[in-house]
Amino acid sequence: MTLKENNEARDRAETTLRGRRILVAKPGLDGHDIGAKIIALALRNAGAEVIYTGLRKSAQYIARTAIDEGVDAVGLSILSGSHCELVAQVVAHLREGGAGDTQVFVGGTIPESDHEQLKALGVRGIYTSDMPLERVINSLAMELN
Amino acid sequence: MIDFTKVEPRLSQMSPSGINVPVRVGADAVHADSIGEPGAYPFTRGIFEDGFRGRLWTIRQYSGFGTAEESNERYRFLLDRGQTGLSVALDLPTQCGLDPNEEMAKPEVGKVGVSLSTLAEAEILFKGIDLGKISTSFTINGTAAIVYAMYLAVADKQGVARDKLTGTIQNDILKEYVARGTWIFPVRPSMRLIADSILYSNTETPRFNPISIAGAHVRDAGATAVEEIAYTLANGLAYVDELLRRGGDVEKFAKRLSFFFYVHMDFFEEVCKFRAARRIWARLMKERYGVLDPKAQHFRFGVVCGGSSLVAPQPYNNVVRVAVETMAAVLGGAQSIFTCALDEAYQIPTEFSAELAVRTQQIIAYESGIGRTVDPLGGSYFVEQHTDQIEAAVLKVMGEIENYGGVEKAIEEGWIQMRLAERALQRKLHIDSGETVVVGQNHFRNPDEVCTPGEVFRLDPAAAGRVIERHQKVLQTRQQSDVERALKRLEAAAAKDKENLLPYLIECCHTYATVGEMVGSLRAQWGEFQEPVRL
Amino acid sequence: MGGANAASPVLDRRALGRRLSVLANADTAAVIALDAQCTPYRPMAQRIGLTGSPGAGKSTLGGRLAVLRSLQRRIGLLAIDPSSPLTGGAILGDRIRMDEVAGVERLYVRSLASRSSADGLAPNISELLVAMDSAGFDELLLETVGVGQVEHAVRHQVDTAVLVLVPGAGDYVQAMKAGIMELADIFVVNKSDLPGAAQLVAEIQGVLHACPPSVTDWVPPVIRTSVSDAHSVAELSAAIDRHQCWLNTHADAAQRQLQRQRYRLRSLLERQLNEMVSSLDPTFLNQPLHQQVQSLLQCLQVGLGASSPRKL
Repeated sequence: MTLKENNEARDRAETTLRGRRILVAKPGLDGHDIGAKIIALALRNAGAEVIYTGLRKSAQYIARTAIDEGVDAVGLSILSGSHCELVAQVVAHLREGGAGDTQVFVGGTIPESDHEQLKALGVRGIYTSDMPLERVINSLAMELN
Repeated sequence: MIDFTKVEPRLSQMSPSGINVPVRVGADAVHADSIGEPGAYPFTRGIFEDGFRGRLWTIRQYSGFGTAEESNERYRFLLDRGQTGLSVALDLPTQCGLDPNEEMAKPEVGKVGVSLSTLAEAEILFKGIDLGKISTSFTINGTAAIVYAMYLAVADKQGVARDKLTGTIQNDILKEYVARGTWIFPVRPSMRLIADSILYSNTETPRFNPISIAGAHVRDAGATAVEEIAYTLANGLAYVDELLRRGGDVEKFAKRLSFFFYVHMDFFEEVCKFRAARRIWARLMKERYGVLDPKAQHFRFGVVCGGSSLVAPQPYNNVVRVAVETMAAVLGGAQSIFTCALDEAYQIPTEFSAELAVRTQQIIAYESGIGRTVDPLGGSYFVEQHTDQIEAAVLKVMGEIENYGGVEKAIEEGWIQMRLAERALQRKLHIDSGETVVVGQNHFRNPDEVCTPGEVFRLDPAAAGRVIERHQKVLQTRQQSDVERALKRLEAAAAKDKENLLPYLIECCHTYATVGEMVGSLRAQWGEFQEPVRL
Repeated sequence: MGGANAASPVLDRRALGRRLSVLANADTAAVIALDAQCTPYRPMAQRIGLTGSPGAGKSTLGGRLAVLRSLQRRIGLLAIDPSSPLTGGAILGDRIRMDEVAGVERLYVRSLASRSSADGLAPNISELLVAMDSAGFDELLLETVGVGQVEHAVRHQVDTAVLVLVPGAGDYVQAMKAGIMELADIFVVNKSDLPGAAQLVAEIQGVLHACPPSVTDWVPPVIRTSVSDAHSVAELSAAIDRHQCWLNTHADAAQRQLQRQRYRLRSLLERQLNEMVSSLDPTFLNQPLHQQVQSLLQCLQVGLGASSPRKL
């Protein structure tokens, strides 16, 4: 991608994200929160309104917060390897609360062999820790459109 | 993603922690008389005058996953291959004080380490391994005192005398609050529990290191080398203060305080940060706490070579990285070295990569000769200047923390966490933009590179089920009245500030009380840490 | 007042969440259009305001208070955080997020960004509070950050105003002097385990006593709280209960309602005007004043949806 294309993508992302509400959550017991915090800050810098849950939240809590806060998207950050189970739990609780249309994104250490399973659960984007931040933000914004 | 193949990276003027590095350094930059000698205060050049010729650093590797039996097998494999100590990783439920059958625990049982819910699991873990002859290091924090109690209980059952036991528990809660997340209780009672475990260990297991104050995790969380040292030494001082508060004798307990850091890729920054840390710590011990015994002034530390400096693209580059980092660790004077496997960045290391990591250390130890003389870089114009500069930068950050009101307050209010998040964002943006070079990831990529893991080590999905089954069995076969009595005594002791909790924890372990139950008793007294979410 | 109303509907959290999002994003024309669709409401929920400077630990306190009060009533917590002036984004909910609490079904938390609002509240805050009201809450807790103007804005939106200070805020108290009486019904000295707490309590009480007795006879209590002391939070809650009781017999509900209606209209118009004026260029501004005013009035009509769009 050229610099020009890159800047255009970023502008589009910022237009999309302005005023959008996004929940960044840490399900399960994984205690590494730096990735989640970086994403939250980057989204804020792109104009979004971000709610960050803090560590060790249950799937019910995450879903309830997503619903009460009327968020457009939920980003789950998981580095413990338990992403398949935890994502399934959150998606189930969102559906139960009538918010099955909330877009779910996953970040962390997600092996490629698990991507299909997550996509089947309805995950719209999978972002591993090595991806450039701008790419993550642009991709997320594109999905929200 | 911007194409970096056309952009030639530059050798930057600044070290990663922001110190200006001159192109040339001459004799005028060094004050020869203040460098000191190895084994002499303030130990800039090393804590032992005979360096590694007296005793080589400990080669320590990571292991532990799935069930206790699988871990036991893996340990015996590694011990056969020349490892001199064991490193035990615990799963998240054990680390967070949950039993494997609890809701939040179930998806995480046995995933990142071994499940150690009761003494029964610990007995399986160490079956056929003589605790009197091996050194065991546990990466455990929130429940460190409990795991340590379990270790002693196993030793009791093996008939091993307590004064023979060697090893470490990480037991460093302050960094958990800011970088690793396996905290349980609020800051004050957690500090008390740590002080109890250290003081108990000093008397009962004098060869055991009851704390490994870690800088590694804040480094991974984005801190610079300078911040890594500063935050960690500040934490160290907080522990010293707590130990003094609880009646410890600094001349005695300081001898068993050890530290633990990452080694990243900037070679001289890493070497010099260790030299600076030794000097700063020794001076603090002497000037602030009046410590006279040189052994109690010693800054002893272990290192991890790898971690977040390793990346998935072109994974064999990581072998080179780990080798460079190991050399920096050796020249920096580390007491123990843990080398990451090349595939650490994207999977659980295979047996092949785990072995290669051990061989890396052995090659450097026995083929390179760099350990032959102590602190060979001492007296180098650049190394001494850089050590001085890092020292000044570290002391500045430590001053900022003191001005804020100290580490505990900074943690409770989320100040350190906020600084780390900002720094991490900066670091990520520098890597994304190519300003910080990561070969294979941003620069010098292979076109059409497909990163396919070679041997993929799969966790047996049924392992968690077996663990839970065994756990249930223990619950059924143990003497419930003994458990309840022991837990009650623990809870009562927790309410009394003067009591040392370790004997009560050991007693609980012997009754096969679970980790969750012991944590529950303590939580009833102390409550839970409320995470300040501050960005 | 207190206690879940048997007639109030079961809370549809999803619908409320969405409605609040629509309202928060509504421009002035949309707000007016939506209002036309609604039946006029009778305010039912008791409103509590919680303000104080950043660092006062107010958000932790607010969380504890909401959790405590949710044991007995349906309570909605609206927490306002500042938007970044640079990027327009915000990190919301920089506060304790409560999992597993006893009254969780009766507790609803909504985080709002202050966005472009000049007074430190959120745009369309009046509409948001009305929407929460219609959803059947017994009580609403409005929490904001800032010193200087937001306390005044909050004062009129709520029935019970609580101002949270921490040791070291002595200067603020002195600066406010008599004005402080108008700001809050209850004063809280938080982090009361810190040195200087007793002194701050004394300073506040000193200022309060120095004020001439007002027509109202509510004497604002000064309460010491500390998040590690659950009893202190209960004390604050009890003070709120007492004030709510007092309001029943002493407050002029009609007057309060009038102030809120004025605020609502004023903020709507201010917002519209601000948006328009900030985009005016020298060509426009160099016209004779009466021409400027005329053009603006016409555009105001358009902006508020009163006639078809026309470029300024």
